[in-house]
Amino acid sequence: MHEPVLLLILVASYLMVVAKRVPALISSFRYQSFFLFLMTMISGFEERHPALYLVAMLILVLKVFVIPYVLNLIAKRINVDENLGLFVNAQLSLIIALLFTYCAWVFSGLIMFGQDYKLFAMTVAFSVIFTGAFLMIFRMKAFAQVAGLLVMENGVFLFASFVLGGMPFFVEIAIFLDVFVSVIIMGLFVYRINKLFTHIDVNKLSRLKG
Amino acid sequence: MEIFIILGIPLFLVATALFTGRQRFFGIANCLGYLVVLFEAVLLFKKIILSGNLKLWGDFIYLDPLSGFFILVISIVAFAAALYSIGYVRRDIEQGLISERKAGVYYLFFNLFCLSMLFVPAVNNLGMLWVTIEMTTLISAFLVGFYNSKESVEAAWKYIIICSVGIVLALLGTILFSCAFSVAGLSKSLNWSDMFPVAHILDKNILKVAFIFILVGYGTKAGLAPMHTWLPDAHSQAVAPVSALLSGVLLKTAIYAILRFGLIVIKGVGLAYFSNLMIILGMISLGLACGFILVQKDLKRLLAYSSIEHVGIIAVGFGLGSPLAVAGAFLHVFNHAIVKSLMFFGAGNIVSLYGKHNINAIRGVLKALPFTGIMVLMGCFALTGFPPFSVFISEFLILITAFVNGSYLMAGLMLLFLSVIFGAFIHHFGKMLFGNLPKNMLTAHEPLSEKLALLFLFFLTCAPGIALIFKGKDLLWIAQRLLQG
Repeated sequence: MHEPVLLLILVASYLMVVAKRVPALISSFRYQSFFLFLMTMISGFEERHPALYLVAMLILVLKVFVIPYVLNLIAKRINVDENLGLFVNAQLSLIIALLFTYCAWVFSGLIMFGQDYKLFAMTVAFSVIFTGAFLMIFRMKAFAQVAGLLVMENGVFLFASFVLGGMPFFVEIAIFLDVFVSVIIMGLFVYRINKLFTHIDVNKLSRLKG
Repeated sequence: MEIFIILGIPLFLVATALFTGRQRFFGIANCLGYLVVLFEAVLLFKKIILSGNLKLWGDFIYLDPLSGFFILVISIVAFAAALYSIGYVRRDIEQGLISERKAGVYYLFFNLFCLSMLFVPAVNNLGMLWVTIEMTTLISAFLVGFYNSKESVEAAWKYIIICSVGIVLALLGTILFSCAFSVAGLSKSLNWSDMFPVAHILDKNILKVAFIFILVGYGTKAGLAPMHTWLPDAHSQAVAPVSALLSGVLLKTAIYAILRFGLIVIKGVGLAYFSNLMIILGMISLGLACGFILVQKDLKRLLAYSSIEHVGIIAVGFGLGSPLAVAGAFLHVFNHAIVKSLMFFGAGNIVSLYGKHNINAIRGVLKALPFTGIMVLMGCFALTGFPPFSVFISEFLILITAFVNGSYLMAGLMLLFLSVIFGAFIHHFGKMLFGNLPKNMLTAHEPLSEKLALLFLFFLTCAPGIALIFKGKDLLWIAQRLLQG
């Protein structure tokens, strides 16, 4: 039951890599978070663990609804050019993302913590983390950096929950709240950058040197 | 009991910061609050050293000598920064840089920042440690971007993004540590007090991989090269008292996190692995900082690069791992916190008088700001490790150990870097401190609170040197207790 959902998570991260505009990026992130929610629900159902339902609900509320909503709101408010500014074009980015998945698969095979679907889960988790880092580095707009960080965070969550069997409950809650706060604060800074510089191209932030 | 007061006072000040009309009054209350915190931190440290580890609130808070020491260092610098803030904020209001309302916001974030930093050494759970360290980043980003200029917002953005990426890697490392736990067939727990006693039966390979992630992740926050790129920007753009907190203690909280995991790794894998990684990163930091200090043109960036250098020395000290070197590294954590705060306070006074960060535009500080000038001159010697001051002692201890261990190449390189940095510092500060005043500049008034803050720190700079003569045995005993923790 896990494999199809894992595949969907992987597909969502490919969608993010080929996205050329901010709204497309945000909605792909929303899909990915939704599949993560689905995955956690299934696990909760299988393991009959009530805490997992609560975690799943937190994902649904924060990552599927609130955070994409906040990002969309800021994108509308600052009203800049919606193009993400690709340093590497979409086709090449997709090839690189596929390479990441291959590397993650080789890497997972090397350390291999469990059997059955865990190898696949680990491959997906690491390729999601790599994809997040890729988005942060090879996109010009500050939005892509926030989204990239969230994607990395999703990958780490996937790794923690489905490869290693989760963290203590209150730590998980604290981490969720922390991610939420960090998105709000980064959003505020995107807003400020736009106000001061009249753009949000991070490659043009180069006043401080040496 | 002391820990409740230590955490409670900043919390109370956070709650009241926005509701006080007169900022001067609140500044004094703030300062008194941190005086109490400092007093309690001394009591707490003494209690832990004499009567052993404490566990409170179930398992949530766990205090051993290591955490007691870091709480003490944080509260010293926090007190000095609170004292210095009184005069600094008032001058900013008078100059029209910030409004009375914004000063309230400053105190709000100042207290939140201190609260989150004091939480870091107190929590038991390594996952909560991650959360508190991420909180320090998020809160201090506002203080870095406080003046809302283009430069400061850019610095804050770099700071928040680079440190957040680093900290995601640290989270991955933390998860791997807990994985090592479940692989060994133990119950899932991230509590340090549960993990440390069984460290020797954990899987070695997983611990090794996990520690790499921890070192890169928290190393980013600690400013170890080559993950340091955010540091000079953030530290040079922050408000002066906050620069002192960032350089003096925020870096140390990340070092503390590395040490916590490092102790598990030392017990599980052996010292050599930990030692090699720490020494390599430390030496890279030293070398890189040396180059940038030599060609630096900006006063506050100069001090920021010097922080990278000192974090490198601390990493080398812990990496060497013998009792003497570790005692030196702990002493260096303390000394660097004190001296760097002193220098940032001095630099804050200089920058607000001249209105520029540029070293070439600053001349004749000793004439314009006699008191600050003398303190900065002394601080400059102290920071570069000149004999009567405390930094000399800690660097000396680390160097002795390096020679005793037979790592001559490392010790030689370290001496080379230190002497180049010494020369560069004397060159830069000599130009700034001496010489004639620029035209139309008068001797400026230095507020009492700033003078007191500088004097307090200067006293602490000299104190370990004097204490070592009379109380050498006691200090060594305390250092040994720290090691066991």
